[in-house]
Formats: sequence, C-alpha cells, structure tokens
Amino acid sequence: MAAVLEVSHLVKQYPSLTALDGVSLRIDEGEIFALLGPNGAGKTTLIGAVCGLVKKTRGSIRLFGTDLEVDPLTPRYRVGLVPQEINFDPFFTVRESLDIQQGYFGQRADRARVDELLEAMSLTGKADSPTRTLSGGMKRRLLIAKALVHRPKLVFLDEPTAGVDVELRRDLWAYVRTLRAQGTTVVLTTHYLEEAEALADRVGIIDHGRLLLVEEKRLLLERLGERRLEVHFKEPVAALPPAVVKGALSADGRHFTFTAAAGTESATEVLSLLFAAGLPVADVTMAPARLEDILLRVLKEGAAS
Amino acid sequence: MNVIGARTLLGKEVRRFLRVPGQTVLQPLISTALYFIVFGYTLGGRQAAIEGVPYVQYIVPGLVFLGVANNSFLNSSSSFFIAKIQGTVTDLLVAPLGPGELLFGFVAGAMTRGLLVGLLTWAVALFFTGAHLVHVLGTVVFLLLCAYVFAVLGLLAGVWADKFEQINLFPTFLMLPLTFLGGVFYSVRHLPEPFRTVSLFNPVVHMVEGLRAGMLGLEEQSPLGLGLLLGLAVGATTLTWRLLRTGYKLKS
Repeated sequence: MAAVLEVSHLVKQYPSLTALDGVSLRIDEGEIFALLGPNGAGKTTLIGAVCGLVKKTRGSIRLFGTDLEVDPLTPRYRVGLVPQEINFDPFFTVRESLDIQQGYFGQRADRARVDELLEAMSLTGKADSPTRTLSGGMKRRLLIAKALVHRPKLVFLDEPTAGVDVELRRDLWAYVRTLRAQGTTVVLTTHYLEEAEALADRVGIIDHGRLLLVEEKRLLLERLGERRLEVHFKEPVAALPPAVVKGALSADGRHFTFTAAAGTESATEVLSLLFAAGLPVADVTMAPARLEDILLRVLKEGAAS
Repeated sequence: MNVIGARTLLGKEVRRFLRVPGQTVLQPLISTALYFIVFGYTLGGRQAAIEGVPYVQYIVPGLVFLGVANNSFLNSSSSFFIAKIQGTVTDLLVAPLGPGELLFGFVAGAMTRGLLVGLLTWAVALFFTGAHLVHVLGTVVFLLLCAYVFAVLGLLAGVWADKFEQINLFPTFLMLPLTFLGGVFYSVRHLPEPFRTVSLFNPVVHMVEGLRAGMLGLEEQSPLGLGLLLGLAVGATTLTWRLLRTGYKLKS
C-alpha cells in the first residue's frame, strides 16, 4: 500500500521544550490512524508540522511522496485539517465559509458538495446563518465540514468530537468510515479512547515527543489487552478452589476478579473451575480488553524507561 | 500559482469590508467631508489661493490621499490581525496559498477599499469644487501606488502585531503626524526655513505633491514622490513576502 505520509526523525525544539523528539511514522493510503497520548505529548505539534502550522527543527516530512522542504504547497491541495481550537469568521454565513474554504484549495464553488457536507454535519438548517450564531458543537461540525469540502485524500482530525454530543459523535464516526470507504486516509487524535477503539485501524502512542508504539489496533488489543472477569457470590466464600491459582478474592469473600492477559489462562477456564467447585455464583461480568488500559500501561512503561 | 485561491481571498476581503460599510467606507467619508467643511470653508475661506488654485480645491488631492492611504492600511492590517486573533489564519496556512497568493488577496482587497474611499472622497470634493483632473494617467498611477504601498505596509503591521495596540501605532503615531505635517492642508514650499527643508524629509509631502500635480496640474512636484512610492513598494513587498514565506509570527 502506498504511503501518503512519511515522517522521518522529526524534531521540534522550542527554547525550553522538545515537543517532538525524533518521530518517525508512516501512514498508508486508506487507513484510519489514531494518534493517542496525554495533553502536551506532541500530537498537535506533529499534525501542525505536517499541515504547515509548525516549523520543524530537523527531520523530513513527505506528503504524497513530495518532500515538504522541496515543495510545501502542492501536496496541501490533498490535505484537510480539523484544528483543535475552534475558529470561525463572524463576517460570513456557514455556506459562505465553506465556499471560501473550497476556493482556498483552488476549487470553484460546488453547491452540491457543500449541501452534501451540510447534510452530513446536520447543518443544513443553519446554512445561511452567520457563523457567530452557531453553538459550540455546531462550530465544531463546521470546522469538520471545512476540512472536507475540497475532498482531501488525507484528513487530520485533531480532537474532532470535543464538545459534540453523543448522537452526533456516532454520526461522525459513521462519516469517517464512509470517508475511508471512499479511499480517504484519516489521522485522528482524540481523548475519547472509545472513539479510537471504534474507528482506528492502527494506533500510535506518543508521549514527551517520542512515539512509544505504533501497531495495528487488533494486534495491539490481542498482545497487550487484558480482559477482566468479575464474579459476584450470593454469600461470602471462604476460599477459592485450589486449581484457581490466579485472580483475587475480596476481603469479604463476595467478589472475585481475574485479569486475563493474552497468552495466559483464559477467563472461561477459571469460570468453569468456580462452577465445578459449586461456589454460589450470583453474577458474572466480563469486560473486554480496552485501549485505555493499554494506553496507560504503555505511557507508564514509557515514563519508566 | 493558486489563481482561484488568490481570487477567493480577494473576494472574501472585499465582501468583509462591504459587510460593515458604515465602519469601513461611510465613516472615513464623513471625516473627509468634515475636513472640507472645516479646512476648506470655515477656515480655508479666509485663505488666499495657493499657486493660483482656490484653497478648497488645493486640499482635495491631499484628502483623497488621506482616504486612500488610511483605508488601504487599515483594511489589510486589521483583517490579517483579526484572522490571527480569531484563529482563522489557520485556514490560510493549511491551504495551498503561498506568500504570493496571500499578498495578492490581502493587498488587492485593501487597495479596493482604499481606492473606493478615495474615489468617494473625490466625488464629495466634486460637490464642493467641481471636477478638476489634469493628468488622468499620472493621477491613476499615483493613486494605485499609494493604495498598494499602504496596503502592503498594513499587511506587514498585521503580520507583526501581537496586540491591538500595536496595530494602531502606525496610523496614530506615524501616519497622522506625517499627513498633517505633510502638506495635505498647505504647501510646504511656502513655509519659512528651516521648516520647508525639514518638511521635505517627510515622504508624505512628496506623495501628496505627486497626486496634486496629477489632479491639479501644479508644477511643485519633484520626481521624489514617485521614487519614494516605488522604493517603498519594492521594500515593503520584499519584506512582507519574506515574513509570509518564513511564517514569522504565524508558525510556531
């Protein structure tokens, strides 16, 4: 698969901070890549360096095969950015803002395209309203529409659903999947890890300007994910069956928890042992592997190293 | 060259100032009309003709210059600065718009406002003095150059400024004294020494005189006005282009 973005040994040094510390990353055509990390980790700086908002200190960035050092403008025709900070021009309406944005990217006003995006972002009713009259969530959706109006092949979504309600967030997820189906590559940063879990093909974890991990989400969940089994007993249990060597019984004997990492004893085996021993099981819950736990673990290990 | 992008930016800039005509066009026009009334009639009525031209007619080119220069500067400086404050400058930076497209869009938009106010000022003057336009080409060249130079200087200020206060530094502390002491309302050639010689170091004097020569056909003009404008145009364009290309105060 062709690379749409190749970042190599990228460094961004501020006077008192190394925002990017030798980041190398390749994004392939048509994938959804989630860039995760705590606040100040370097996510927005990395996106800014690619999109022309941040001047790199060292390293190289190739967009669609073109080195931005050689030609910083031509590849931008095919890139869209939803910035983290909401911005809007109060002099114009929603539709005018989209027309202007399309023009900036060298395209003539395309009413059908604008209508399609207004519909997708649930802004049709606000098309002729001044942007200053929009709610915070609507302004966020307008930003998304602006980033997509010129049909970019690579879209950066920097916290795209911050402040957007749950229903619209789900709509946006569906739209992102549609974009991918159309061949658009999406790079996403988000604090909603369920968002990354729902959408991403690959995940990158960044902290203190260093890329700690890049892996396919499915493999990552298999490799580092831990499923958590919780068993509640009808009455206190004095001891676990001798065959159950892992997991923990609460002090009051009413709860048993077991965390199953990849490649270890499975939760169903443990559960079978509990039932076989005739313990008074009242309820069983099973939590799947979560990206959030993996993120915290990787960040902790990264900090320790 | 992103022609559609540059044209879109120009269109946006023009629509932006036309959305608030009271502030961007009518307000400077009213100020200029008041100058005519106060300086041309109330005070100027008692003035003798200068170089054979009635005083109220003599001040017209200077007032047109004021309208063009101030409004060209204010449009590009405020528009770019507000884009930085509102964060919409991000839209420009991520788009395939190079320094050439940005310069064209902001400067041509600002020139449009400056020339519109200048033209309306002249229209108001026609009401007071009748039509006087001796050298059409010379006048047009001077007006275009004035509008261009001050539009680029405005863009430069918009790129450089971090605070609203800084945007006002140029018009308040430089433009205002230079224009009031720059022969808009009098002929510096008739000042006693050393004021005459000192005044000739004021670049606005030569710009106003150049425009006056074009509009009224007076011979007091030196080629310095045109030279100054051309020099400023080249210098300011080069500097602004460099700042936009390097992302000075725009990219972190």
